[in-house]
Amino acid sequence: MSDHDHDHDHERTVAPMVDEITDFEVLEIALRELCIEKGIFTAEEHRLMTEFAEQIGPTPAAHLVAKAWLDPEFKKLALAEPMTASKEVGVDWLHPTGWGTPSDFTAFQILADTPTVHNVIVCALCSCYPRPILGNSPEWYRTPNYRRRLVRWPRQVLAEFGLYLPDEITVHVQDSNQKHRFMVMPLQPEGTEDWSEDQLVEIITRDCLIGVALPKAGVTTNVITDTRPAIHPGNAG
Amino acid sequence: MSTAAERAAQLELVARLKSAYPELPDAPTPDMLDHDRITAYLKPVHDVGGEPDAPMKYENKQYELWEHMTYVICEVLGWRGIWLSEERRRIGNVDVGRAEYLGLPYYGRWLIAVARVLVEKHHIGLSELSERMAEVQARYAGGLEGKTLEAKPKSEGDGSKVKRNRHAEEADGKGDPQCYAGQAGKAKFKVGDPVVVRELPVIFYTRTPEYVRGAKGEIEAVAYESPAAEDETWDRPVKPEWFYVVKFNMAELFYGYTGTAHDVISTEIPERWLQSAK
Repeated sequence: MSDHDHDHDHERTVAPMVDEITDFEVLEIALRELCIEKGIFTAEEHRLMTEFAEQIGPTPAAHLVAKAWLDPEFKKLALAEPMTASKEVGVDWLHPTGWGTPSDFTAFQILADTPTVHNVIVCALCSCYPRPILGNSPEWYRTPNYRRRLVRWPRQVLAEFGLYLPDEITVHVQDSNQKHRFMVMPLQPEGTEDWSEDQLVEIITRDCLIGVALPKAGVTTNVITDTRPAIHPGNAG
Repeated sequence: MSTAAERAAQLELVARLKSAYPELPDAPTPDMLDHDRITAYLKPVHDVGGEPDAPMKYENKQYELWEHMTYVICEVLGWRGIWLSEERRRIGNVDVGRAEYLGLPYYGRWLIAVARVLVEKHHIGLSELSERMAEVQARYAGGLEGKTLEAKPKSEGDGSKVKRNRHAEEADGKGDPQCYAGQAGKAKFKVGDPVVVRELPVIFYTRTPEYVRGAKGEIEAVAYESPAAEDETWDRPVKPEWFYVVKFNMAELFYGYTGTAHDVISTEIPERWLQSAK
């Protein structure tokens, strides 16, 4: 087959790719410039919030759960005073403003799984998520699809994540639609009894803390790993 | 500059964007609409819980720089008293209307909300925003070509005259909702109380999902005091009220529920929406 044994318009398909600025990039830059010029906020305030937002992620939440598995007293604290317990893993819910991150509020609660109850979180109205301790939510968590279906067909949705729960286990869906932010504390899996905190943290993935997966010895990645690349990526998420 | 053919093509594209019942004409006369359809049109579009949908492939998404910057600008505007988070949630998730809500990327709506609130509250003029957008576009005419995406403010303004809310001062050192503690009076319900969610008429905004309205549940937790979303979203000075986490049996809540008889769902509801089921 020769190179030109096909039927298409070369002028269109071989035109040089122009790396154009996108509509939302234009709007974001324009708004940020005007805000700074008008003193609505300062460049320094914007920089501080950017630095804060770049360092959040699921690691502190995994440490919190590992510590709770290893120390029953800490588990009690985590369930009774979750924001106090968060400080032990380096998260102060009042940061960085002195009253928290405006979109996340400061009403954090941890949902502990039991041998008969499995918890899973969703925000059917938007994407409420405990960002200060778990980082930004994954794209799929924010889709209307997950939000529509999890509140009504939780077992089917969980099965799509490979999590098949027996009938003896009660599914408890937590739709966090106001000011509370929740995360799940799964049960410590078998075969990890003598593990260290750092070993345990490896298997406490973000998906386990949302409740769409269960921790398992040997499994250290999230269920959903396919990632759409950004056109012009930033430093977070 | 666009060609006449390009303009026609764009108009054709917009014309195919449907957010209406196909059996009804555009702008139907009143006799063509029943109560259920009016309710559907007026339903706050963010309230998608329980609407049927088919499985799809779930994916992660690497953040675009602008998505991250959009999140940051929203948080800075909250921090500096330009809006409450509840204003942002309404403007970006509901006021955008159904076509934009379902049609734009998640952070695209956040960014539209930033433009909207700054224009509505007279912090910037729409004309100067348009001009600045044109200027930014011109800076990158011909593509990025190695240039980075960056904001280049021409000056740093004096923010002392900017109109701000008092939320930062009120919540400083306490947090939100802690800043409203002690203002709601006695809680009407206690843990274990059976309640029914009222079926209040809804226009414009609420955070009480449609799927629990009219349903019977049980108080799982007395959560905190806060203004209800319907007032807080316009930053009206109102008396805070008690919020409750209410638990519902899913088999009772959803007709034809396919899970077990003991699966449950909990959601947070302010006191005004609840009445005793005793």
